Amino acid sequence: MNAVMMVVVVLLPIIFGAPIPLLPFKNRKQMAFYVESVTLVTSVLVWALLLAQPEEAFVLFHFTGNLSVSFRLDGLGTVFAGIVSALWPLATLYSFEYMKHENHETYFFMFYVVTYGVTLGIALAEDIVAMYFFYEMLSLVTLPLIMHTLTREAILASRTYLYYSLGGAAFAFIGMVAILTFGTTSVFVPGGVIDLAKVGDKQNFLLLIYVLCFCGFSVKAAMFPFSAWLPKAGVAPTPVTALLHAVAVVKAGAFTVIRVTYYSFGTELLRGTWAQTIVLGLTIFTIVYGCSRALKETHLKRRLAWSTVSNLSYILFGAALMTPLGLVGGLSHMVFHAVMKICAFFCAGAVIYKTGRNYIYELNGFGRKMPKIFLIFTISGLALMGVPGLCGFVSKWNLAKAAIESENPLAYIGIAFLMVSAILTAIYMMTISIRAFFPGKEFDYSTISDVEDPNWMMILPLVIFVIAMFAFGLHSEPVMTALESIAATMN
Amino acid sequence: MNSWILIPVFLPVISGIFLLMAAFRKHPENVQISAGERHRLHLIVGTVLLISAVLAVAAVWTGEKSLTLFYLMEEIPIYFHIDGISRIFVTFTSIVWVCAGSYGFIYIQHEGKETGFFGFFLLVYGVVIALDFSGNLVTLYFFYELMTLTSAPMVLHHGSKGAMIGTLKYLFYSLCGAYMGLFGIFFLYRYCDTLTFTSGGTLNLTAAQDHRTILLIAVFVMLVGFGAKAGMFPLHSWLPAAHPVAPSPISAVFSGILVKGGVLATIRTVYYIVGPDFIRGTWVQTAWIILTLLTIFMGSMMAYREPVLKRRLAYSTVSQVSYILFGLALLNPTGMTGALLHTVFHALIKATLFLSAGVFILEGDKSRVDELTGIGKRMPKTLWCYTFASLALIGIPPASGFISKWYLAQGALQGVQQAKFGVFRWLGPIVLLISALLTAGYLLPVTMKGFLPGKDPRYQQGTPGDEEPPGFMLVPMAILAALTFIFGIFPNPLTKYIVQLVSGLM
Amino acid sequence: MQFVQNFPFITIILSLFSGPLCSILGGKKAKRINQAVICIVMVMSCAVLAFVMQSGTSYVYMMGHFPAPWGNEIRVGVLEAFMAVFFCIIMLLCMMGGVYEREQKLEDTKQNLYYVLVNLLLSSLLALIYTNDLFTAYVFVEINTISACGLIMIKQNGRTLEAATRYMIMSLLGSGLLLLGICFIYDLTGHLLMSNIQEQVRILAQTGMYHMPLLVSVGLICVGLAIKSALFPFHSWLPDAYGYSTVSSAAILSSLVSKGYVFLLVKIFFRVIGFDIVCDSKIMNILFVFGIAGMIMGSVSAIQENNIRRMIAYSSVAQIGYIYMGFGLGNTAGVIASLYHILSHAATKALLFVAASGITDASDNHTDFFKLTGAGYRNKLAGIAFTAGSLSMIGIPMFCGFISKLLFAQAGMDNTYKMLPTLIALAISTILNAVYFMKTVIRIYTPVSRKEIQKNGYQNISIKEQPVKSVALILFIILNLILGLCSEPIVAALQSGLGMFA
Repeated sequence: MNAVMMVVVVLLPIIFGAPIPLLPFKNRKQMAFYVESVTLVTSVLVWALLLAQPEEAFVLFHFTGNLSVSFRLDGLGTVFAGIVSALWPLATLYSFEYMKHENHETYFFMFYVVTYGVTLGIALAEDIVAMYFFYEMLSLVTLPLIMHTLTREAILASRTYLYYSLGGAAFAFIGMVAILTFGTTSVFVPGGVIDLAKVGDKQNFLLLIYVLCFCGFSVKAAMFPFSAWLPKAGVAPTPVTALLHAVAVVKAGAFTVIRVTYYSFGTELLRGTWAQTIVLGLTIFTIVYGCSRALKETHLKRRLAWSTVSNLSYILFGAALMTPLGLVGGLSHMVFHAVMKICAFFCAGAVIYKTGRNYIYELNGFGRKMPKIFLIFTISGLALMGVPGLCGFVSKWNLAKAAIESENPLAYIGIAFLMVSAILTAIYMMTISIRAFFPGKEFDYSTISDVEDPNWMMILPLVIFVIAMFAFGLHSEPVMTALESIAATMN
Repeated sequence: MNSWILIPVFLPVISGIFLLMAAFRKHPENVQISAGERHRLHLIVGTVLLISAVLAVAAVWTGEKSLTLFYLMEEIPIYFHIDGISRIFVTFTSIVWVCAGSYGFIYIQHEGKETGFFGFFLLVYGVVIALDFSGNLVTLYFFYELMTLTSAPMVLHHGSKGAMIGTLKYLFYSLCGAYMGLFGIFFLYRYCDTLTFTSGGTLNLTAAQDHRTILLIAVFVMLVGFGAKAGMFPLHSWLPAAHPVAPSPISAVFSGILVKGGVLATIRTVYYIVGPDFIRGTWVQTAWIILTLLTIFMGSMMAYREPVLKRRLAYSTVSQVSYILFGLALLNPTGMTGALLHTVFHALIKATLFLSAGVFILEGDKSRVDELTGIGKRMPKTLWCYTFASLALIGIPPASGFISKWYLAQGALQGVQQAKFGVFRWLGPIVLLISALLTAGYLLPVTMKGFLPGKDPRYQQGTPGDEEPPGFMLVPMAILAALTFIFGIFPNPLTKYIVQLVSGLM
Repeated sequence: MQFVQNFPFITIILSLFSGPLCSILGGKKAKRINQAVICIVMVMSCAVLAFVMQSGTSYVYMMGHFPAPWGNEIRVGVLEAFMAVFFCIIMLLCMMGGVYEREQKLEDTKQNLYYVLVNLLLSSLLALIYTNDLFTAYVFVEINTISACGLIMIKQNGRTLEAATRYMIMSLLGSGLLLLGICFIYDLTGHLLMSNIQEQVRILAQTGMYHMPLLVSVGLICVGLAIKSALFPFHSWLPDAYGYSTVSSAAILSSLVSKGYVFLLVKIFFRVIGFDIVCDSKIMNILFVFGIAGMIMGSVSAIQENNIRRMIAYSSVAQIGYIYMGFGLGNTAGVIASLYHILSHAATKALLFVAASGITDASDNHTDFFKLTGAGYRNKLAGIAFTAGSLSMIGIPMFCGFISKLLFAQAGMDNTYKMLPTLIALAISTILNAVYFMKTVIRIYTPVSRKEIQKNGYQNISIKEQPVKSVALILFIILNLILGLCSEPIVAALQSGLGMFA
C-alpha cells in the first residue's frame, strides 16, 4: 500500500495538472482553488509518505529487461521530497497573485503542477535509470515555463536552457551507462555499486566518466562553466525563477550529483583521486565565480540567479568532499538555501509585480514604502551571508567542518573561497538593502509614491520562510540529526 | 541565578528596536520632532542607558558569572561568561557610551532623525555589552558580526554620498575581517578541545601536531581579520572613510569602543583559545609584529599629513590601536599589560578628542585643521579638553598615555627572546618613539594655533554662533578628559589589577 | 514443408508483379492496389515471423529445382522476417503520410507511375532481406536504385532532376564497387551462394591464402554499400535527394532504402565473410572512424541548414553514422545496437519528414526556417509529432532514440579502446541533435502576430482536414513509443535473429 503511494504522488500532479487548460473553469478563482488543492493534496500525501517511510520498492514500468522506472524512498530522497513538498504549495499560493496580470495562465499552471510530479519523481527514483528519466523530463516540462512570456528574450533564454540541460543530460547518460556496465546493480546503494572486478584496469576510464557525469548532472546545478543558462532563465515569471531556478530544478541537479557520487560510483573509489581534485576545483571556483558575477549584475533577478550559482556550488562542494560529513554539509545547505533563496526571489518578485522595476538602481528608498518586503529581503540577505542565528550560518559551519575534517588541502582553499564568497554575498545583498532603506538625504520620496507592500497572498509565504530561517538557524538540531543519520548509512 | 546579566544586553536592544520602529513609522520626509517628543525621547534613552550601564558594570564587578543562553548548534552554545577581560571592557565601554550619549542629546538635534539615531545607539550598546560578555568564540563571533551590522547605519546617519561610501567601506571591511575570523574559527573548532575561553588556550596540541602549518595560517588569517576592525594594515582604510562622515558621538564610540571589539577578539583568540605558546616564535608572530609596527608608523604619518581634523583623528586611531596590537603581539606579560592599559586609555582619550572635534564642527562649522585657528579664544573649555586628551595620547607624563606606552616599550625591550626577533627589541621602541613625536606633531598644532592665533589672517574674532557648547555636551567631555589624567596620576589600582589579570594568563 | 514457408517468395513476386499492373491502371486504383499489396505483404510477413519464431531456426527455401551450389535460394530467419514486417509498416505509414502531397503536386498521369516505383522498391527491399545469393542481391540493389531514382525525380522540377542525377551517379558508383567486390569474391571462392562462400572464406582465412584480395573485396563491398547508404563522406547526394523530393519519397528513401543496403552489409558480414574474420581485419576501425565523423559532421551541417527538409536530411547522415559506428565497435552488441537503430531511425525519421510536411503546409509551403515561426500552433498535430520525433532523435527516455543510444553506449563499454570515443561522440552528437531539433521545435512554437499570418497567407490545418495523414502521424508516434517503452522483446528478437543469421 505504502509503496503504491510513491507512484500516486508522482502521477497525481501529472495527471491532474496536464488537463488544466482543458478544464472548464468558470473563473480564475476556481482554477486557483483547483491548482492549490492538487498541490496541497500531493504535499499532504508526500508528508504521509515521508512519515511512513515504506521500505519496499515499486516498479512503474520497464524499458528493457534490467532497465525500469521504479521508486523507493530513502533518506536522501526524503530530504529532497521534503523540501519540494514544503515549498511547492507556498510558491503556488504566491504565484496566483503574481500571475494575475500574465497571459495564458492555464498553461502556466499546467506545467507548474506537472513539474511538481516530475521533481518528486527525481526524489523518489530508486535507480539511476529512473532518475535519469525524470531528469530529462524535468528539462522538458520546465521549458514552457521559461518560454512563458514568449518574448524574444524568453525564447532565447529557453533555447540556452534547453541546450545546456540536454547537453548535460547527454554526459550524465555516459555515467548512467557506466553504472549499468560496471555496477553490480543500477539501484542506489549507500556507498556505491561499482564492481571493481568488472572495472579491471579501466579504473582511469571510470574516473574520467565520473568527471563527465558529474559535470553533466551539475549543468542543472549551474556549475561553472555551465552556469550561463541560469541567469538568462530569469526572464521567466518570478514564481518559476524562485521555485524552479532556486529550488526544484537546480536542487535536482545537486541531488543527482549526490546520488551518483555517494550512491552509485561510491566515495571509496573516488576519494583522493584526480577526479575528485577536478570536481572539487570546479565547485570551489564556481563559488567565487557566481558571487563575482552577481556583484557585477544590476538586474535584480539576475543578481539573485548568479547568487544561486554560487550557493549551489556550496552544495556541490560538500558533495565533492566525498566524506559523510561533506554530505551532511551539502545537504544542510540544500535545505537551508532553498528557504533563503526562494524568500529572496519572492521579495524580488513582489517588487517587480507591484512596481515593474527590475534594476537595482531603481530601488532607492523602497524600504520605506515596502517595509515588510525589504525587511524580509534583508533577513534573507543576512542569512545568505551566513550571519549566525540564521540558517545560512549553520550550513556554512557544517561545510567548513567537513572540509577541515577531510584534510584535503584543496578543501582548505575551499573554505577560504567560502569566506570570500560570504563577503561578496554581503556586498551584493547589503547594497540593495542599504539603497532601499537609506536612499540618501536628497532623495525625493514622491517619485515612488505608487510603491506599497503587496497583499497577504504574497506576504504569507514570505513570513513562513523568515520563521523557517530563524528556526533553522537557532535550532538546527532536528534537521542536522536527520541528515547525519543519512550520512551514517555511508559507512 | 545569573540571568539578570541579560538585562543590560536585552534592555537596550529591545528598547532600541522599539525606537527604530517608532522612527520608521514616521513619514520619511518629516524627520524633525517636536520639543515634547524630544524630551520624552531623551528621558527614555537616558533612563535605559543609565540602567543598562549600571547593571552592566554591576554585573562585571560582582564576580565571575556564566550563563548559557541557548544552543546554536549541538555543542555550540551561545554562552556568556564574565571574567577579568570583560570587566575592563564593559567598564570603559559603559563610561564612554554614557558620555557620548549625553553629548549626543544635544549634538544630534542639529542632524535630525533623532529617534532612529538613538534606536541604533541603544541597540549597538546592547550588542557591544553582549560581545564583552561572550564566553566562547562562536558567541563572540556572533555578536561581533551583529555589532558590525547594527553599527553600520549609524555611520550612514547623515545620508550624504560620502556617508554612503563610508558606510559601505566600513561594512565590507568589517565583514571581510569577520569572515577571515570565521575561517580561523572553523579550524580552531576542529583542533581545540573546546571553544570556551580558557586562560592559556585550549588548542589540542597532539591533534594539531600534523596540521601545524595550516593552523598557523588560520591563526594569522584570524589576526588580520580581527585586525580589520582594529584598523590594522592592510584592512585599515575604512577608518578614515567612515569617521569623518559619521556624527561625532558616533565617531567617538567607533574609535573608542567598536574598534576595541577587534582588540577583544584578538585577545580572546590568541590568549584564550590558541594560546600564546603556539604562536610564540613562529612566523605568525613576526608577521604580526611587522604589521602592527607598520601600521603604527603609517597611521601616524597619514595623520600628520591630513588636513581634516576628524580624518586626522581617524588615522591617529589606526596608529594607536596598533600600539595595543603590538603589545599583544609581543606575547609577554608586560606587553600585554601595556596593551590592556592602552585599550582603556585610548578609549577615553579618543572619545574626548572626537567629541571636541564635534563641538568644533557643530558650533563653529569647522572641520579642517587650518580653520581652527583661534578657536581657543571662543571655546577655551572645549579646547582644553582637547589639549588634555592630546597630551595623554602623546604620552607626556603624568597623563595616562605615558603609563601604557611605558609598559609597551618595556615589553618590547624585554620582549622577544628568540635570536631572530632581536631586531624588534630596539625597532619596536624606536617606532613607538617616532610615532609619539608624530602624534605630538599632528595633535598639538590645533592647540597652539587655537590658543595663539598670532596674526593669522584666517582668524576672525567673534563670528556669531561661536560659543561654548551647553553643559550636556561639555560635562561628558570634561569627565572623559579628567579621567585620562586621573588614570595617569593614580595608575596603581588599574595597573595592579591588569598585571594580576595578565599573570593569570601567562 | 509448410505452406507458410512459401510466403517470402510470394511476397517478393507479388510486389514485383503488382508494379507493372499499376502502370496500366489509373492513379486512384493504383493507390488502392499499392496499399493492398503492402498490407498483404505485411500480413504474410507476420505469418512468416510467427512461424520462424515458433520453429526457432531459420530455413532455406530453394528457388526452382536446382539445389546449391547452382540454384538460387532464399533464407528466412527471425531477423529477416522481422525486418520485412517492419519495413512494410513503415512503408505503409509513409505512403499514408504523403498521400495528399502526391495528389496535389504530382501530375495526374504520373500518379500511377509512382505506385509502380513503390511496388518495385518494396519487392527489391524484400529480396535484399531474404536472398541468400550474392548475385541476386546485386540485381535487386540495382532495381532498388532505379526505383529510388524514379521516386526522387517524380516531381520533375529542376532541383529534383539534378538531385536524381546526382543520386544516380553516386549510387551507380556504389553499385559498381559492390559488383567488383562480388566478382572478386566469386573469383576467390567460386561461389555466389552466401553459405557456400563462407565455407570457402573460412578455409582461406585459416590457411592465410589470398589475404590481400579478400581484404580488398570486403573493402570494395563496404565502400560500395557505404556510398549507397550515404555514410560520411559519401553523403553529398543525400540532402538534395531527400530535401526536394516528395514527402513519401523522402521518408521512404531515408528510412528504408538506405537501411536495406545496411541490412545487406550486415548479411555480408555475418553470412558471407564471417563476423570474426571481418573484425580481425582493420575494416571495422575504418567504419568506426567514419561513423563517428558522420555523426558529428552530419549534425554540424544540419545546424547550419536553414531549410527544414534539408536539415532533417542532414540528420540522416548523422544517424547513418551511428549505425556504422555500431558496426565499427566490432562486437555483436554493437551490431544489435545498429540493427535496433535501423528500426528506431526508420520510425523516427519517417515521422519527422511527414510532420515537417505538415508544418510546411501550414506555412504556405515554405521550407525556410524563419517562415515556420508559430507553425506548431497552426497545425497542432504536426507540431506535436515533430516535437515527439525530435525528442526521440535527441534520445529522451520513453522514445526509441533513447534505447538505441543506450544500446550503443553499452556496446561501446565492452571495447576498451573504443569505449571513450564512442561515449563522447554519443554525448556530443546528442548535444548537436538537441541544438538543431530543439531550435526548430522552439521556433515552431514561437508565436507570430495575426497580421503576419494574414500577410503571409498561412492557414490553420486541423486534424480532421487530412485524416489519413493524421492517422499516419499518430501511428508513427505510437510506434515510436512502443519501440521506446517495450524494447525488450524486440531486442530479444534481434538477438535471436542474429544468432540464426550466420
